Amino acid sequence: MAAVTRAEALQASATRGAITLDNVVKIYDPDRAAVMAVDHCSLDIRAGEICMIVGPSGCGKTTLLNAIAGFHEITSGQILLDGEVLCCSEKPKAEPGSDRIVVFQNGALFPWKTNLENVAFGPIMQGSLTKAGAKEKALEMMADAGLAGVEHNYPGEVSSGVRRRVEIVRALMNDPKVLLLDEPYRALDSLTKSVMHEALLEIYYKNRVTIFFITHDLEEAIFLGHRVAIMTTRPCKPKKILEVDIPHPRTYSVLTSKRFRELMEETTESVHEEALKAFDAGEKEG
Amino acid sequence: MPFQVVSDDLLRKVAALGRRVNYEKGALIYDVGDKADDIYIIVSGQVEHTLEPTAQARRPVKRLGAGDVFGWAALLEKFPHRLAKAVCEEATEIVRINGDHLLRTLETDPDAGDVVMSRFATMITRDYTVPDLIAQLRRIHRRMHASDIQGMDLTLFRFRQWIRSPRPYLMLMGFALFLGFWYLAVEVLKLPRFREMPGLTTVVKEWISPNPTYGLSIYTPEYYKHIGVSVWRVAQAFMLATLLGVPFGLFLGWSKKFKEYVFPVFELLRPIPVLAWVPLAIVMFIATESAVIYLTFLAAFFTTSLNTMLGVESIDESYVRAAYCLGARRWQVFLHVIAPGALPFIFTGLQISMGVSWFSLVAAEMVSGQYGLGYVINTSYTTVRYPTIFIGMITLGFVGYATSALVRLLGDYLMQWRTRELALGGQ
Amino acid sequence: MSAVTRAYFGSTLWRGAVSIAVFLALWEFGSLSKFWIRGDAFEWLRHALSGLGLKSTYLPWIGAVPAPTEVLHAWLGVLRDPGYWQSWYMSFLRVMSGFLAAMIIGIPFGLLLAVSRTAFGIGFPVFEVLRPIPPLAWVPASIIFWPTQELSIAFVTFLGAFYTIVINVVGGARSIDVRYFQAARSMGSSQWDIFWRIILPGTLPSIVVGSAVGMGITWEVVVAAEMISGGGSQIGGTSGGGLGFFIWNSYVGGSYEQIVVGMISIGIAGFISSAVLRALGKRVTPWLHQR
Repeated sequence: MAAVTRAEALQASATRGAITLDNVVKIYDPDRAAVMAVDHCSLDIRAGEICMIVGPSGCGKTTLLNAIAGFHEITSGQILLDGEVLCCSEKPKAEPGSDRIVVFQNGALFPWKTNLENVAFGPIMQGSLTKAGAKEKALEMMADAGLAGVEHNYPGEVSSGVRRRVEIVRALMNDPKVLLLDEPYRALDSLTKSVMHEALLEIYYKNRVTIFFITHDLEEAIFLGHRVAIMTTRPCKPKKILEVDIPHPRTYSVLTSKRFRELMEETTESVHEEALKAFDAGEKEG
Repeated sequence: MPFQVVSDDLLRKVAALGRRVNYEKGALIYDVGDKADDIYIIVSGQVEHTLEPTAQARRPVKRLGAGDVFGWAALLEKFPHRLAKAVCEEATEIVRINGDHLLRTLETDPDAGDVVMSRFATMITRDYTVPDLIAQLRRIHRRMHASDIQGMDLTLFRFRQWIRSPRPYLMLMGFALFLGFWYLAVEVLKLPRFREMPGLTTVVKEWISPNPTYGLSIYTPEYYKHIGVSVWRVAQAFMLATLLGVPFGLFLGWSKKFKEYVFPVFELLRPIPVLAWVPLAIVMFIATESAVIYLTFLAAFFTTSLNTMLGVESIDESYVRAAYCLGARRWQVFLHVIAPGALPFIFTGLQISMGVSWFSLVAAEMVSGQYGLGYVINTSYTTVRYPTIFIGMITLGFVGYATSALVRLLGDYLMQWRTRELALGGQ
Repeated sequence: MSAVTRAYFGSTLWRGAVSIAVFLALWEFGSLSKFWIRGDAFEWLRHALSGLGLKSTYLPWIGAVPAPTEVLHAWLGVLRDPGYWQSWYMSFLRVMSGFLAAMIIGIPFGLLLAVSRTAFGIGFPVFEVLRPIPPLAWVPASIIFWPTQELSIAFVTFLGAFYTIVINVVGGARSIDVRYFQAARSMGSSQWDIFWRIILPGTLPSIVVGSAVGMGITWEVVVAAEMISGGGSQIGGTSGGGLGFFIWNSYVGGSYEQIVVGMISIGIAGFISSAVLRALGKRVTPWLHQR
């Protein structure tokens, strides 16, 4: 890509992908058990930022993600993407689309397709590229992400770390406005996790896509995010929003910096409080 | 950095390859065009690394310090000569590792080697745009995995393991016990219940005799005619059941509305044992051949549809959601996610269907029809040709097993991803 | 009426009822084709059928089947016949005894194979070689061996369910997570304890599934054996009875409506047995059904 186009592209992407959650309410099973998962949650996610959502298990953060992605209905309130209404009380379920792509907790690479076929899937389905064109672009993007050499393997044949990265590349092939990550690194060991974080940041610096990242790991949240929203236990609501003023681009050395330690101190107690509440309530993970 | 996530064992091996060298301030480590044999890791000090213009680097001059790695051209076949000049800016201590040796060591642990190589790749693409680099790395990757046991070697390896374990001998013992008991009970001890039974030797002799007393052996053409007739009937019924049952099951699983309308009728008819249909089938089809095939088809159809439906329902929702996220439409999700995703269940269902088909076929043949193995068993009893009964039974066993195995093999072939995954898990 | 019932009556149950009604209507229409096809309006149909080489006096296949109304009529008649209920009793008896025998012998055998590697090495290959032989193929051999016909039918019935139960037990026992064993041992369990408290309960779900499938197979075998011994071939005897025999007899006697009555009766009987089994299964594995 010529240098000019790239800079322009980066500029453009820094202005798209702003999500507005406006008084979103979600009640499961309204006629019987009536479980309120999300209680008048309002949150603004800026275009091009990495917004981390932290909270105890089962608090309803996945419900928010699912509502944005279009998998679940909301009971009331509305969700906007770049000013356009995704869903509201009249139209409670958004349409899933390639402008907001989800990377799933346990991975959703199709096991019956090779990694390359997986990555090329989106553009081929949408018809935006020919099969050959899509495969070529996929090869490029995979190499770019350091995944050269595993194109013709099946997902089951490679490590989970590699699978995660392939899934992210698969999403990025479609030039999404937002990446929705639902605890993607939860099942990985901490060594692989640290590699994943750096890989994600590398990808982010190249693409500047808005990232909505759910995690229960506070360290991960502060290391990656521009802002960290700490949610209450069920029903879910932002309790505290932290601005992480450590400058990007960040490297691993940030973890031992003084500012990082300070931020951790500020927020640990808040998170711990909610975790205790969830534990006492016997919350089951979603 | 590339070695961040490897095991201690591998790190030790790599470290053992290194040689420590000291350089003075201002010393030239290597120049453009020099032979590229070693990779360099800086222990302490500082090095100025200048790439020559044709390398199209984004930042031609770099300062490297403790912990940095350079000189990676030694890993790549196409770059036998240095692309850069490396000069020490101060007194520097360096560990040098020979590129070839390193590659060979990485081959002993291909997964870790993968990580190392991909880290190298990331590092390199971040700083340079060397065009052939990707192809280079792929070639190295393939070399590293050449040492994985694949295909035929894997089969032979597993066979050797099997032979060395107690399993084949226990198996032989099991058969010996079974056959021995049969032999003893009938021909030696002449136990009361077994008096009318044909003995093992009688059956075997009859089976392999060129001139069988009762008319059926591996040398008589009728034997193969009966086998052929039965197999052909099963084949017809099974094919029909699969062609109708799989799409039917897929729709049942995929469309809630369809299921709500159709499944009740399906579930109403399913509990009726297939063999209870025999008289009705004869009434409906008049010709016994069609009746027999219909019965076999019915049994297989129910099994295949049900299993296919369960297969669709068992697909992890995440796959479907991911497909929608990526912009697929409903029919594309059906073709690319539902159908392949249900395949494992479908094939399990098909294997069961095959067993069920033989079950129904034999019953149908015993009650009505001419030719076929069920017919053979039946008439052998009524015409008091007892050894032939057993020949029929044994043949049924073989043929039934072979057809199931065929289905399983087909499944293994179509679901390459699964076989490979299971192979890695050591199944 | 709770919200659940309301919801169900709203769509699912309604749709199911509609489809069954449509099914019965089509059946009735098809069966009565032997009457309406004679009409002038259907001359073209008769020509088409004879052109294809089929009988033109009724719609192919479905036309030969008695209509639902005729079946219902015959059924009401048969309900008063004690022989009909005797058939129910006999079939149920055979199914229960064969099934129970399969469980009593099959579950311990399966557990033995799962627990002892030696036993597995000796027993499983023989088992797998005999399994593809359909149980019904054993009927003549069974008759030669067993003194009474009842026993020979029972043996074949037993075989049918036996294979399924053993396979499910072995599969279930092998899939018990290794960590349960490790946890038990670290808490000081003896071998016996481990068997009773881990292996047995851990295998229970598979036993339940295996028995449900086995029950279906048992009915198939019983019905077939009853038909074969009562009619069909000359493997005859005076003892007979059972619903399979009832069907065969109806066929031989020419009362086709009764054939369908018999078929539906067996279907109902099979359904009842499966339902009872599933209910028992739920009681025995309460942990699977809590949510």
